[in-house]
Amino acid sequence: MIKDRSQAICRSRWFVPAFCLALGVVILAASWLGGHPGEGLAELALMAGFGLFILLAGRSETIRGLRGDGRDERFAQIDLRATAVAGLVVITAVIVSWLVEIARGHSGSPYDWLGAIGGLAYAAAVVLFRWRG
Amino acid sequence: MKNQVRTLRTQRSLAQGQLAEAMGVSRQTINSIENERYTPSLPLAIALARYFGVTVEEMFDDQGS
Repeated sequence: MIKDRSQAICRSRWFVPAFCLALGVVILAASWLGGHPGEGLAELALMAGFGLFILLAGRSETIRGLRGDGRDERFAQIDLRATAVAGLVVITAVIVSWLVEIARGHSGSPYDWLGAIGGLAYAAAVVLFRWRG
Repeated sequence: MKNQVRTLRTQRSLAQGQLAEAMGVSRQTINSIENERYTPSLPLAIALARYFGVTVEEMFDDQGS
């Protein structure tokens, strides 16, 4: 049951490969600006290769779910749980890194900012989703 | 959640893939529902019940899960 156009776009088999390619181009531009065009080209090749793999990989549920064209309500729930796990891992890593930096006598930057952004984003999301019902 | 999806599907000689296509979900989702590993959303539960011509209560047993 595809409800709107944005959902339909995300469910296209081309969305993730196109996103990978676009991100690769942005990385290339940033690397070029930073004076490392060679690294940027390597990153672009990596991202394009991953996008191509996702596009041409088989029809397993996992691949189709990652790609978008095999997503239904169950896979959306799997995606939500996986996102929560990934977020938990990242915020744990940020907090541990922040504590290590403080213990070393450093300011804790940039982990303090990352942790604050994560905490505020979570609180804002809770308020928003509660408000929306 | 215990349910009658497999029973009703096999009574009509339907493959999981055919039911999945009719419901707009993957075959694996139908398999997960039948094996009580996944509880469908309310819209999908209603769609399944309507498809088989039974009520949601007849199809899903919330007491036995």
